[in-house]
Amino acid sequence: MNSVAAVRDIAGVTLRQLLGRRRTVLLVLLSVVPILLAAAFRAAGETDIERFTRIVFDGLYVAILLPLVAVLFGTGAFGAEIEDGTIVYLLAKPIPRAAVVIAKALSAAGVAIALTVASAGLSGVIELLPAGSDGQAATFGYITAMAVGSVCYATLFLALSLFTRRALVIGIGYMLVWEGGLSSLLPGIANLSIRQYSLGVADAFIQLHQDPARLTPSTAMTLAVILVVVAMVVASWRLMRFELPGSSD
Amino acid sequence: MTVQNVESMPGPAPAPAIELVNAARWYGNVVAVNDVSFALGPGVTGLLGPNGAGKTTLLHMLAGFLAPSAGTVHVLGRSPHRDPSVYRQIGLVPEREAVYPFLTGFEYVRFNARLQGMADADAASRRAISLVGLDDAAHRAIGTYSKGMRQRAKVAGALVHDPQVLLLDEPFNGMDPRQRLAMMDLLGQMAEAGRTILFSSHILEEVERIGTEILVMVSGRLAASGDFRAIRALMTDRPHTIKIRSSDDRRLATALMADPAVFAVELKDGSLAVQTAHLSTFRRLIAGASRAAGVRLVEVVSADESLESVFDYLVRR
Amino acid sequence: MTAGNRITATSPAGSIYDLGYRHYEGKRRGRGYAIWSLYVESLRSVWGFGRPTRAKAAPFIIGGLYAFPAALQLAFSSTLAAQIQSGQTLELFTYSTYFTQFGFFMILFCVAQAPELVCRDQRYQVLPLYFTRALSRVDYAVAKLGALASGLFLALIVPMIALFVGAVLMKPDTLGALGDEWPKALPALPACLLVALGMAAIALALSSFSPRRAYAAIGLVAYFLLMEIVPVAIYAVGHGDRVNWTWSDKLLLLAPSTTLGSAVNWFFGTALDPSLPSTLGGGDFLVAAIASIFVFSGVLLFRYRRIAA
Repeated sequence: MNSVAAVRDIAGVTLRQLLGRRRTVLLVLLSVVPILLAAAFRAAGETDIERFTRIVFDGLYVAILLPLVAVLFGTGAFGAEIEDGTIVYLLAKPIPRAAVVIAKALSAAGVAIALTVASAGLSGVIELLPAGSDGQAATFGYITAMAVGSVCYATLFLALSLFTRRALVIGIGYMLVWEGGLSSLLPGIANLSIRQYSLGVADAFIQLHQDPARLTPSTAMTLAVILVVVAMVVASWRLMRFELPGSSD
Repeated sequence: MTVQNVESMPGPAPAPAIELVNAARWYGNVVAVNDVSFALGPGVTGLLGPNGAGKTTLLHMLAGFLAPSAGTVHVLGRSPHRDPSVYRQIGLVPEREAVYPFLTGFEYVRFNARLQGMADADAASRRAISLVGLDDAAHRAIGTYSKGMRQRAKVAGALVHDPQVLLLDEPFNGMDPRQRLAMMDLLGQMAEAGRTILFSSHILEEVERIGTEILVMVSGRLAASGDFRAIRALMTDRPHTIKIRSSDDRRLATALMADPAVFAVELKDGSLAVQTAHLSTFRRLIAGASRAAGVRLVEVVSADESLESVFDYLVRR
Repeated sequence: MTAGNRITATSPAGSIYDLGYRHYEGKRRGRGYAIWSLYVESLRSVWGFGRPTRAKAAPFIIGGLYAFPAALQLAFSSTLAAQIQSGQTLELFTYSTYFTQFGFFMILFCVAQAPELVCRDQRYQVLPLYFTRALSRVDYAVAKLGALASGLFLALIVPMIALFVGAVLMKPDTLGALGDEWPKALPALPACLLVALGMAAIALALSSFSPRRAYAAIGLVAYFLLMEIVPVAIYAVGHGDRVNWTWSDKLLLLAPSTTLGSAVNWFFGTALDPSLPSTLGGGDFLVAAIASIFVFSGVLLFRYRRIAA
């Protein structure tokens, strides 16, 4: 069996699943908010790159939009199929389970990247590009952060969604509590924080922060790759053992 | 004979398409399937039982989605659990209705064909679609389908790769009688072509139409297996209990006892319980007997008409 | 009781025989009782009672995390008391700032439980079953709102009680401490009620627009977080070097957590967060919080008036 073809076909169906009309409207609305804020900064004639990146990129994109979008798509890739019971059509096929996981992860991460990168890119163009080469570097840095973060969040919570139906709430809790509340108290959490991986990789383009606890680009990239690989392996392992909910459900 | 007793199978017979040996499955301390053994070869077999009897669990074990907690399950000579390659030979129609609502019927069937790795997925899909008679609606989104159409789309998706073994969980749900007949014909044709087909149902009449081998499950156990008509006869020969209330139960009881069709009469709680072998004979008898005895009938109720009581009878027997 | 005994053709067009159906002849209670029942059942489901353990996990874990700091303070109150001199009080967490510090757990609580309450009824299309009973559409919305607000209130009040008990036990003279402490703690009741209602109204109004829990959850987080950050950001920009947008401080009244947290301060008579603009007082935030309760309850009722049952 040509697994590549299977990945393509499953990804195609998953994309149509993830991009239903209502949810697309909701998410596009969400991703427009920071762009509007960037426009407000521009209108106010704000030139302080540091302040803009802290409020809009760190505060809105990295802390909120990126995890929300990527967790939603990550948990939704399998979540909707499990809830509706359509996952049985994927499971009852002679395809390696890893191919199913790869197809789902590719589509979830792909959609998340498309949305966050487009939104962050636009914000950067509006506010930062006029600020010269530093602004350009910051924009590229944060676009990279969006891409890395999308892949990490999406695959991690895709794997989790095969274990519990409340993966989305856990993802939101992770983002609010672990990355939001605790990581400022316990700097060691940086090693276990997707937010720090994203920012660390982005640091390759520009020195963004003065925070000593942050990760170097190479460490961040290594940790991100390990996370994605482990999540994919665990997801494939779990899918092999996946038991369909009974008919009473 | 497609339903055979495992123990009585002669030595090196060709491996049956489906074989369970003392298979059991429990969830926590709930036993869903309890020590079931049977073997099936080509043909259509009905898996009957009331709701909650363990039919879906059994089919899920056959489809490799559940490992048996004890015993063995083999499909085409191997264990289907954690072996995706077995699906090349298995087609599965799940019980749940959901199908990707945004795909058209044709797209859905082709999706299945492609994931089965078929070289000419389009041609195979067209064939499967016309087998289930969905040609007219093939290019409409499944979200707009009626229950019966969705059910047929699912069947088309399951048989598009012409599997050796076809497992169908409640396939006739939501179909109208005409669609049911057509589907049963289709299953019959596939069986004649040497396929092994196992479908589940909780409605006796559905199976009656196909008139073939059945397995009856009750409370997770295999209660009966064999030719449908033989089992049906066994079920109908059992004594029926009829509850009667009348203006004078005692007098009516005496009158009824005189007739050989009545096995036993019991006066209890202000009503009369009568056991008889043949319902239809008794129905004719009661009218005459009551009139002759001058007794006015208040209520005549059959105490055990439901399918559950039929199954129940099979288990207790 | 009538028994269909004689087979007499009463009507040539056909008739339905009474085969001894069991009629309900008990008392029928009215609309009030129906609302109450829905309220109680919904409140139970907010905390997962009467549901499997899985359903209890989220509310109890989140509620537990929210109460955890206060519980820690309670647990160590005796140790703390030993270390500080008499008459002096050492409080890590206070009644008035607790919600501001740990309110994100309550957002999480709403995210986890509000969609549970309303989304599935829409997704599985059971609303007609409610609306054909004594309940009206408005009653349904009111019962659900009351249930979520009560559930939140319980979560909010637990750490307040822990702080209170801790403060009393820290002092050697328990009875005297009790007398000193309760007037300080009392505003926690109306404050928690306001926060519970405020969050419940927002959470339920937004959730009621999606039949899928996932999207409701995302919508909720997005609203609570974005509406928090965007006004702050615009206020920050609006008071930059080049422009002075005087209206931008009013935007802070739209930030849900800031508004509720500041309104809590008003109840306790304590000072607002110093980073907030001096043009806004606790009373302004209180008014904004009450207005938001009305607006979002209105949205919720509007939604249920219109929803296709």
